[in-house]
Amino acid sequence: MDSPSPMQSFRVLDIASSGLAAERKRLEVVAANIANANTLRTPEGGPYRRREVLFEAYLDQAARHGDALPLVRVDGVQPDMSELRRVHMPGHPDADAEGYVAMPNVDLMFEMVDLMASMRSYEANLKSVRAFRSMVDAALQIGRAS
Amino acid sequence: MTFDAIRGGALGRELAGGGGLDALSKDAFGDTARRAGGGAEAPTGVSFGDLLGRLVENADQAQRTSDDMVQALAKGEPADAHQVMMAMTEADLAFRTLLEVRNRIIDAYQEIQRMQV
Repeated sequence: MDSPSPMQSFRVLDIASSGLAAERKRLEVVAANIANANTLRTPEGGPYRRREVLFEAYLDQAARHGDALPLVRVDGVQPDMSELRRVHMPGHPDADAEGYVAMPNVDLMFEMVDLMASMRSYEANLKSVRAFRSMVDAALQIGRAS
Repeated sequence: MTFDAIRGGALGRELAGGGGLDALSKDAFGDTARRAGGGAEAPTGVSFGDLLGRLVENADQAQRTSDDMVQALAKGEPADAHQVMMAMTEADLAFRTLLEVRNRIIDAYQEIQRMQV
């Protein structure tokens, strides 16, 4: 996590920054899922299980008063423990005794939607930053004798 | 907006019927006059010099952080692109705030200098 901004009035930047970092992590997880959509061998044994990223809201050390707004961070990356699809491929080297191969539970459509959602979230966070920047610019114009 | 329209409107009605400028100033500016007359309380103990010093420190700190992040990115250390840009934005905003405050102080000083004794 990057250090909080020295000026409390710039908290918007901290919050948006945490959002950007979280969305970038989500994109990493989506990319891992897409890349391993057909992986049958993993270090922990068995086929690849789709990973899910978990976000949590938290208050950083700069949040001194009670009604401070939370930032977001990644609470962990958990495997999706739903049932794996079994395909009958008797000749496959990884087939079990009955000739079935368990395939990873990665649905490319789902991952693509997640990818687009992550991109839109990232852009929305950037928009927060841009809006805040405009506000500060406008405020600095107040009372300018030009 | 023509003068006729102004005269015909609320301002005109006030000036013509309601007792002239006194009535107008009492309604519209009475609050402000009261506040300005009675208002000047003692400050809460933070001097302007302190505020200015803090602004300078903040701008300096933001600038240093931004420089460190840019260096880290150039060296290839794991620094996110958006973190670097955020640090640069903060440094820029902090510095521009400081610059604007400095401009206002100088303007105010020059205004005072121009006063005839």
